[in-house]
Amino acid sequence: MMKAEKINPKDISRPSEQMVELDPADFMKLPYPYDKGEDEPAFKRLTEDQKKKYEASLDGVLAVSIPKPATKEEEDELVRKFLSGLEKLLTKENNWTFLQPLTLSLEYCAKCQTCNDACPIYVSSGKKDIYRPTYRSEALRMIANKYLKRGGKLFAKIAGNDIELNWTTVARLAELAYRCTLCRRCAQTCPIGVDNGLITHELRKIFSQEMGIAAAEIHTLGSVQHLKKGSSTGLTPVALKDTLEFLEDDIKERTGLSIKFPLDKEGADILLIHNAGEYLSWPENPMAFAIIFEAAGLNWTLSTDLVGYDAVNYGLWYDDVQFARVAVKHAQIAKKLGVKKIVIGECGHAHKAISVIADRIINEEINIPRESSMTLLEDLVCNGKLNLDPKKNDFPVTLHDPCNMVRLMGVVEPQRNIIRKICPQFREMEPHGVRNYCCGGGSGFAIMSSMNFPNWRSSISGRMKFKQILEAFQDVIDPGIKKMVCAPCSNCKGAIREIFNYYNAWEKCGISYTGLVEFIVNAMVDIKEPYIEWPEI
Amino acid sequence: MLLQLLSYLAVAVFVLGILTKVVKYLRMPIHVRWELYPIPHEKGREYGGSYFEELNWWEKPIEKSFIGQIKFMVPEILFVRGLYHDNRKLWWASFPFHFGMYLVIGWLALLLIGAILNIAGLSPESVPATFLQSLAVIFGAVGFVLGTAGCIGLLILRTFDGDLRAFAAPKDYFNLVFILAIFLTGLLAWSSSDPSFVIFRDYLEGVITFNPATIESPLALAHIILLSLFFMYLPFTHMTHFFAKYFMWDKVRWDDERNLRGSAIEAKVKQVLNYRQNWSAPHIKAGKTWAETATEEVE
Repeated sequence: MMKAEKINPKDISRPSEQMVELDPADFMKLPYPYDKGEDEPAFKRLTEDQKKKYEASLDGVLAVSIPKPATKEEEDELVRKFLSGLEKLLTKENNWTFLQPLTLSLEYCAKCQTCNDACPIYVSSGKKDIYRPTYRSEALRMIANKYLKRGGKLFAKIAGNDIELNWTTVARLAELAYRCTLCRRCAQTCPIGVDNGLITHELRKIFSQEMGIAAAEIHTLGSVQHLKKGSSTGLTPVALKDTLEFLEDDIKERTGLSIKFPLDKEGADILLIHNAGEYLSWPENPMAFAIIFEAAGLNWTLSTDLVGYDAVNYGLWYDDVQFARVAVKHAQIAKKLGVKKIVIGECGHAHKAISVIADRIINEEINIPRESSMTLLEDLVCNGKLNLDPKKNDFPVTLHDPCNMVRLMGVVEPQRNIIRKICPQFREMEPHGVRNYCCGGGSGFAIMSSMNFPNWRSSISGRMKFKQILEAFQDVIDPGIKKMVCAPCSNCKGAIREIFNYYNAWEKCGISYTGLVEFIVNAMVDIKEPYIEWPEI
Repeated sequence: MLLQLLSYLAVAVFVLGILTKVVKYLRMPIHVRWELYPIPHEKGREYGGSYFEELNWWEKPIEKSFIGQIKFMVPEILFVRGLYHDNRKLWWASFPFHFGMYLVIGWLALLLIGAILNIAGLSPESVPATFLQSLAVIFGAVGFVLGTAGCIGLLILRTFDGDLRAFAAPKDYFNLVFILAIFLTGLLAWSSSDPSFVIFRDYLEGVITFNPATIESPLALAHIILLSLFFMYLPFTHMTHFFAKYFMWDKVRWDDERNLRGSAIEAKVKQVLNYRQNWSAPHIKAGKTWAETATEEVE
């Protein structure tokens, strides 16, 4: 085992069983009632078989789970492909999408380490060196400088690029690319403007676009399945229609309202696209949207076209090609329906994907306007278009800011204005808004479940969020007082659900979570029964 | 004469080096949006909001706040505000280092103006010339002191702070020692042989008029040589962040320009979608344009 303190970027090349050992005793302390550390679950270790089979020498955690190459030739071939991918990343034909931001971020890091303390993963882990935002970036920078620049090898030592590009380096970088949620909090603090989140994103692209290596949940089961079956959840158009019929019955049962989901309605004003995970995991969310939109008399529709009913775009996290394919499909479907705008449901990364990133991909005639549901809902709630009674939400509530929606898109106030209006016991987490912390499930982590990765996610990448939530509710932490986290994002809800399960947050603290529209329906005067459901004890 | 040639060469290399880099960044194709909030030109949204918060935002004009951007940039550039908030320990060294550098640049500019006025026939004893020279003394002296202190502080931190040392390369120390030598020779030349910086002003006058001036002070000579060499070295280092920040902030972090129908953005996007990609993963067919790749049927 290497020394745990002050690991240099070049150490990534030195073969060892494992670079760091993760011990919960080192992790950032949590507030009451977890302050004694007694309720910290044991960290799940990989079995010897798993270690033998997969490349786990980074931190003993497997997210990508690359099988160990059988021969040295295989290793060398993978290393060659990695370098060829890095080279392509620096050409305009292959990477016009990010060439300028990437080049600038590779050329200008002053190695001041200011970004480190902004990273919830680095801090939560007990400041493990390999999780510094600068660590993987510097390793990649050193490889680029040494192996792709003229005279790079000659001046490697003096210029600080004396890294060895071997299979150990590449295998560790593959896993390390999935130890960052791409929340870009680090970039926000960089005095120069370097973006280590971006470098992580680009690193993932080398593996996916050149080597065909990505976490299975986001590629094979994610974007590939999305394009092929219609949804990354595997939900087909036929299954969607069945599900919606079931939800219509459920709406009737819970609220007495007879609502038909409008499907493929040509010329509707709004094409509403949810993260399809909602239909399966939190059906109350698309149901609530339908109740609100019908109550407000909006002219809207859902699509049952392949891809058109799942707003996710996993390519955002690891692959520009897959990203572009999904984004274009979404836009083409909207064009075909002739809607005035696409409204994105409660999914943070889908917000950023189609509004911000795809803005320079879906071009010309398919450039249909896209809007956040937060904005639309704010108009309905704050301009008196719904009959609401805030007293129906009279319990402590805090709001989680999805990074993609807030820091990376600037949709900050609409959801707050809604919560302020209908939740009398609203309190902010600190910090919040554009300085928020990630839920720990960003960049695909919420849906990734390989080996012991879920343990890593809940105990390290989601730890800062859990700390914030506990702090926001310290004055009402008694489990007898029911309280709710509003998380207007499917992936964030997924990550928060896992954190709460991991730490038994409902049993110990009485904290649960839900989306935003659930609060709105819960406050609707015409709906007699409470819409928000609390977990059963 | 050799000294003057070195100075001419320094200016030429500096200008060419910087221009080459600027052109390189300018020639890069349009990239996808990758902004990061808060964006200070978003009028009335200092908390970090964007025009996406508006209902039907595409139907409304975007109000940009030039003042907002200036209010952000001035303290950032002059006082390294970000570092003050996020890395105070480093700020104590970085601020004097940068502010010292600004003052030394101001000192050079003041000397240059003085030299030009002198050439134009304004007596060095006249009130404006005396005023300029006095100002140059303040800028130079304070700048050299601050810069020296900042450099020493940065060297100490880079050497003894574990986090910084773990990432430090010989080149990083060389850069700091190089700049320290410039500040220090300037400071010593001022305190020992050129208290009113007349030697430096006359040297600049000689450079402008192609009349070699003899420098007798070894410290002033060392300062001029080092400064000239530094001008030649700087364009090839990350220290060009002084202008690259424009691209990193204005062209990436704050670039929220919308792709509207018929806009220049739309035309640029059309162009890049016709680039042919050459990626090798099994799910991508190399050799197709981005437009084809994004729309082809996937098996």
